[in-house]
Amino acid sequence: MRSGRQSLLTGLLWTAPWWLGFLLLLAGPMALSLYISFCDYPLLQPPVFVGGANYKQLVGDPVFHKAVANTVVYAALAIPLGTVFAVLLAVLLNRRVRGQALFRACVFVPTIVPLVAAGLVWMWLLNPEYGLLNTGLRALGLDQPPLWLESPRWAMVSLILVSLWFLGSPVMIYLAGLQEIPEELYEAATLDGASATRRFWHVTLPCLSPVILFNVVIGIITAWQVFALPFVMWRTRPGPDRATYFYTMYLFDNAFNYLKMGYASAMAWVQLLIILALTALVFVVSRRTVHYRGV
Amino acid sequence: MNIRSIILGLVLGLPAVGLLIFGPRGRPDVPPDRTVIRYWEKWTGVEGAAMQRIVDRFNATVGAAHGFWVDYQALGDVDKRMLIAAAGGDPPDVAGLPDRFVPPYADQGALRPLDDLADEFGLDLDAFKPIWLDICRFDGKLYALPSTPYTIALYYNRKLFRDAGLDPARPPQTTAELNEYARRLTRVEVNDPQDPGDDRIVQLGFTVSPAMLGWWHWVWPYFFDGPLWDGRHFTLDTPATHAALAWIRDLRSALGNERVLQFEGTAGAIESAQNPFLSGRLAMVFQGPWLANWARVYAPDLDYGVAPFPSVSPERPHVFASMDVLVIPTGARRPREAMIFLTYVLRQEVMEELCQAHGKVSPYRVPQPDFFAHHPNPHIRLFDELAASPHAFGYPKMPTWAEAWTETLYLLETVLRGVRDPDEAIRATQAKVDRVVADYERMAAQRRQHSDSIIGGPPRGGSP
Repeated sequence: MRSGRQSLLTGLLWTAPWWLGFLLLLAGPMALSLYISFCDYPLLQPPVFVGGANYKQLVGDPVFHKAVANTVVYAALAIPLGTVFAVLLAVLLNRRVRGQALFRACVFVPTIVPLVAAGLVWMWLLNPEYGLLNTGLRALGLDQPPLWLESPRWAMVSLILVSLWFLGSPVMIYLAGLQEIPEELYEAATLDGASATRRFWHVTLPCLSPVILFNVVIGIITAWQVFALPFVMWRTRPGPDRATYFYTMYLFDNAFNYLKMGYASAMAWVQLLIILALTALVFVVSRRTVHYRGV
Repeated sequence: MNIRSIILGLVLGLPAVGLLIFGPRGRPDVPPDRTVIRYWEKWTGVEGAAMQRIVDRFNATVGAAHGFWVDYQALGDVDKRMLIAAAGGDPPDVAGLPDRFVPPYADQGALRPLDDLADEFGLDLDAFKPIWLDICRFDGKLYALPSTPYTIALYYNRKLFRDAGLDPARPPQTTAELNEYARRLTRVEVNDPQDPGDDRIVQLGFTVSPAMLGWWHWVWPYFFDGPLWDGRHFTLDTPATHAALAWIRDLRSALGNERVLQFEGTAGAIESAQNPFLSGRLAMVFQGPWLANWARVYAPDLDYGVAPFPSVSPERPHVFASMDVLVIPTGARRPREAMIFLTYVLRQEVMEELCQAHGKVSPYRVPQPDFFAHHPNPHIRLFDELAASPHAFGYPKMPTWAEAWTETLYLLETVLRGVRDPDEAIRATQAKVDRVVADYERMAAQRRQHSDSIIGGPPRGGSP
């Protein structure tokens, strides 16, 4: 009994850096933010309990609806597009060709560029008059190329295009996944007369499906937290007709510009629930489509 | 002692010993016998260097005599950092903020009222122009001291005026005349005579767009005699706002809204050669005295003039005035020491040295003769005179201004794009901001009512 208690104490002592950090820096602040979400709290005055008023206000807030809609559209387009491009790029980079390491580095390098620097560069690339993209489109004969960042119609498209620039990390994860696929599966498929396309559909994709699931879940979390790129590219404005005003940007404005910490906390909890629900949905849907080897 | 304990001891002990030996030390440049006054500012680059020179001189003279050392820290988002530090009970002793933060922060109790300290330290507040002192006050109390002020005027390209047959010695006098000038100063390149949709603007007379150097999207009703705040109510849905939006839309309709939007999308940053005014593509712009600094760097041959921005009536010339301010946050540990530093910075010769370096006007009623003689902006006398106008106005003193600012931006952007009907958009914005103000006041009243039963909150306009 005594040695059991001693083991427990030793275990707790050794794991103290984690659980102390968890309690002080994560669980404690989360519990506090849950309480604050039921309060009116302008940061420098004491919180006043208002019950579910903040959550009720969210239901009727048109700016909140717009921010949710923008985030849903962004996630619905950026995640599938990013997944398709990343898988295709990984498959290409997995081929044994001369300069393979250089190609891989080229795909990965953009991910180490700071978001702010990348945002500023893309602002120039998408400038309607001087930008490289529109210069190219004009050279192709398009007289009125899009106002990428200043048009409500094109602003979201611009951001999704820019998000594809940061595919390096998922590509590297897919690449690792591709290298785990046993060669004999391809050999067997080839012996059975499967074409390259059929091998991709019936060997590569099923074997890669757990990695795709992982990246999609990470993609959902990242998409619901998109902030820095639109914040930089539209110079802290919510974009034309609020076209690029996302969930986290509105949360930030409520917390630090309008000093509505209670409202922002309520938004944060709703955001957490949405991400949890979407992740659960993805896991349920993926039961039939994700194949785990040896299971 | 078993081997596991030794390893545990080493794992925990070695970093501690390492920290002791190699860890952070007190600032080597701070003399050991000095009390440190923490000063947070937003300025970096040339502006930061100018303030650092003044801080260094203070540390070598007045600071040395009193045993103080001002530690100047340039920070991004200094307003948010100061607020969070104040909420955490460890704010700096002095902070430099944009003036629009004075009403919300003062109302939340984040700023220390300075009336008593100003009296105690013999600050001659009457030496400042009334508009600057008014901006520093909220609810009858002094919460800030003037730092680097500015007024906004109309810059115009004299060469483009001549090319358009306009007299460069006679800039527009009214808003109607401004539109007329803007039409004449706009040049359209016709690509295909059969297809007017293919035309593009190559030179624009004037625009109020937030996308093109239009940083103050909310000011236009003021130039039509319509302030946005009467001290209690947000007053957007007025004839002045309707007239202002009609004025904006008239010009855009005349020039072709789609073409104007296309042109505005090309704007480069103010501090670049792609600044449309500096590159000669925008004939007139509503801007501050600092534009001369960028003109000197990127367009040294630009022939430009500066004039008061026209109002609807020349008898009531409205002027937008704003500035950076110096504050002592609530809970600052050394307010008196901070005030000694602020008193030094507010010496006329010191403050005007700073304003000159920043390309701004002087907050003093009567600037020293050297101020104009050595100022980098050749038109600074005009900007200074504008600050003395009885029709000068600053940011609305609303504690909820940040939200009103966002809503008025949305109003202007959607009306410029033709997404919303102006009358309906003004009504909706008015209703939205009214709700925000009402909610804020309801909670403030509730908080005051229950303040006795709540522990730990500073009173409104709390003292240190």
